[in-house]
Amino acid sequence: MPLRRRLTIAFMLAVGLSAAALAAGSYFVVRHNLMSDSVNSGERQTRRNLAIAPTYLGQGTDALLAAYGRAEAGFLTVGVHRGRPFSSNPISIGMRQVPIGLRQIVARGELGYERAQVAGKHYLVVGGPARRNTQLYFFFSEQGLRHDLALLRNILAGGVGILVLLAGFAGALLARQTLRPVGRASDAARSLAEGLLETRLPVEGRDEFGGWAQSFNEMASALETKIADLSAAQARERRFTADVAHELRTPLTALVGEASLLAEHLDSMPPESRRPAELLVADVGRLRRLVEDLMEISRFDAGQESVHAETVELGALTAATVRARGWEGRVRLEADEVELTSDPRRLERIVANLVGNAVEHGDTDVAVRVGSDGGPFVEVADHGPGIAREHLPHLFERFYKADAARSGGGTGLGLAIAQENARLLGGRIEVWSEPGEGTRFTLRL
Amino acid sequence: MDEHVLLVEDDPSIREVASLGLEQAGFRVTATGDGRDALLRFKQGPFDLVVLDVMLPSLDGLEVCREIRRESQIPIVMLSARSELHDVVVGLELGADDYVTKPFELPELVARIKAVLRRSTDGPPEGAISVAGLEIDPAGFSVRKGGEDVALTATEFRLLLELARRPKQVFTRELLLELVWNYDYLGDSRLVDVAVQRLRGKIEDDPAQPKLIQTVRGVGYRFGRG
Repeated sequence: MPLRRRLTIAFMLAVGLSAAALAAGSYFVVRHNLMSDSVNSGERQTRRNLAIAPTYLGQGTDALLAAYGRAEAGFLTVGVHRGRPFSSNPISIGMRQVPIGLRQIVARGELGYERAQVAGKHYLVVGGPARRNTQLYFFFSEQGLRHDLALLRNILAGGVGILVLLAGFAGALLARQTLRPVGRASDAARSLAEGLLETRLPVEGRDEFGGWAQSFNEMASALETKIADLSAAQARERRFTADVAHELRTPLTALVGEASLLAEHLDSMPPESRRPAELLVADVGRLRRLVEDLMEISRFDAGQESVHAETVELGALTAATVRARGWEGRVRLEADEVELTSDPRRLERIVANLVGNAVEHGDTDVAVRVGSDGGPFVEVADHGPGIAREHLPHLFERFYKADAARSGGGTGLGLAIAQENARLLGGRIEVWSEPGEGTRFTLRL
Repeated sequence: MDEHVLLVEDDPSIREVASLGLEQAGFRVTATGDGRDALLRFKQGPFDLVVLDVMLPSLDGLEVCREIRRESQIPIVMLSARSELHDVVVGLELGADDYVTKPFELPELVARIKAVLRRSTDGPPEGAISVAGLEIDPAGFSVRKGGEDVALTATEFRLLLELARRPKQVFTRELLLELVWNYDYLGDSRLVDVAVQRLRGKIEDDPAQPKLIQTVRGVGYRFGRG
């Protein structure tokens, strides 16, 4: 249950219980007073009645009842005169309605009272001896009293109900007021988690929440500074890589040009300089690939890469890629016609890197399959030595070499670049490998 | 083959090796490393083609390109780093014909230069085409619109000719890259888009609502209504 609701309910309970206790207390005090008043006045009237009774009893019970009736005292009279019962209203009331306990008290010659119900109506019955052989009982109606008490009860209960409702509203309001800083704090924490590091809480008042907001803000500032430092350091590092690659490009362009001039004249060189020149040409090519890969990776890091999508036939593109690299002899291609909208230059890069990787590490027999099941895919499988399980999660890391001793012609960035390209195109590269059986990379788009 | 190439490249090693490479490929080369100097030499010409680095001291390659285009439709090939590809698009919009990214192999540069030059030398053996108020003369490399000469670069002329020779046929960008730029594999389709824009600017009444060269969405371009 939310804290707000719990607070509200607690408030309602506190207010409701105290109001109910107060109301019950007052009710019982009032009730007690009214009841004793009624007894007192009943007893007073009874004494008067008993006092005048002997005067009339001589003329019979009817005379007595007539005298009582003239006084219009508002009571019913029942009695026993010389062993014979009589009643002012014999149809509804008689000695049978006089409680036994009261009769015994009166029989001892004392005044007594008891409450009784007759035909659903409440009466105070007061009795006493009039003469030695006459007992009189007077029924005073307490209907009015009972009615007033019921009214009072209802008013008090209604009052308590209204108070509880009011307490509910007030409690909800109060809870909201109290808990607002908590709500704000959780919003702030959420937006902080979403990366809005400049989020701060307003510090209001000097209560616990104020102090807490202060601490929260300090934590957020510390976090912001830390992350800013980290990303600045990372940006510097990436900037440095980009700068290095950039600065290498100019001398590299000259080197590549010089190497290609040299390459044309290898045949006319004297044997002792020919081999070094051949090596130089090959190494310049390697350096070029490394620098180009570094430049590409740093463009990804800088988020400068964009997609130029057009309609592409994946099978034809894969075939052209293999042909352009001169790998036809080593690659078995099995291509369905798969058309999609994507960036052909990036697809070409991914396919070239995957096939190149397989051709380099995977022995001679490389199988490339292009098709579509759920989505276009290019699968590159070799039957080389395979890759040990512990290396698989790291294959797409930069400069990761599964076999430290294996120094192939690759730059160590090929798979990382392929992965970045695949991500940029909204695809992914999966890898499966079993030592001794081979390796299979699958580009899924 | 004795074409005269103006090579503008500020790095001395690249300048020298590129000069050597172009000379061995049969070109006459004048080389300079400075933008202002390049413009001076250009005026002393004549040249058949300019190879222009984007990043130059004193006056950058894009400015040089703009200045040259003010008075001449000479073929221009830009040299640029891949990270400066944005500049390349600007260069193409200024009227460069093609570009090569650094680091490049010499045969690649030579191939691009030859492809551009071919556009301005061996025209298809065809008679003049007269269509939609345009008179295109392949032999004289001239285009007249409403009787007035329109100055087109070799690339723009070749592009117009390929499109106008087969009116109503839809050309994909790949096909145009092959026919006009001689790329047989993954050329940059922006070459086509930028050249079409420039061409429209020169031959359309309202380049914003082209009537002669129409875009076929998702496919390519065609000459006239389909």
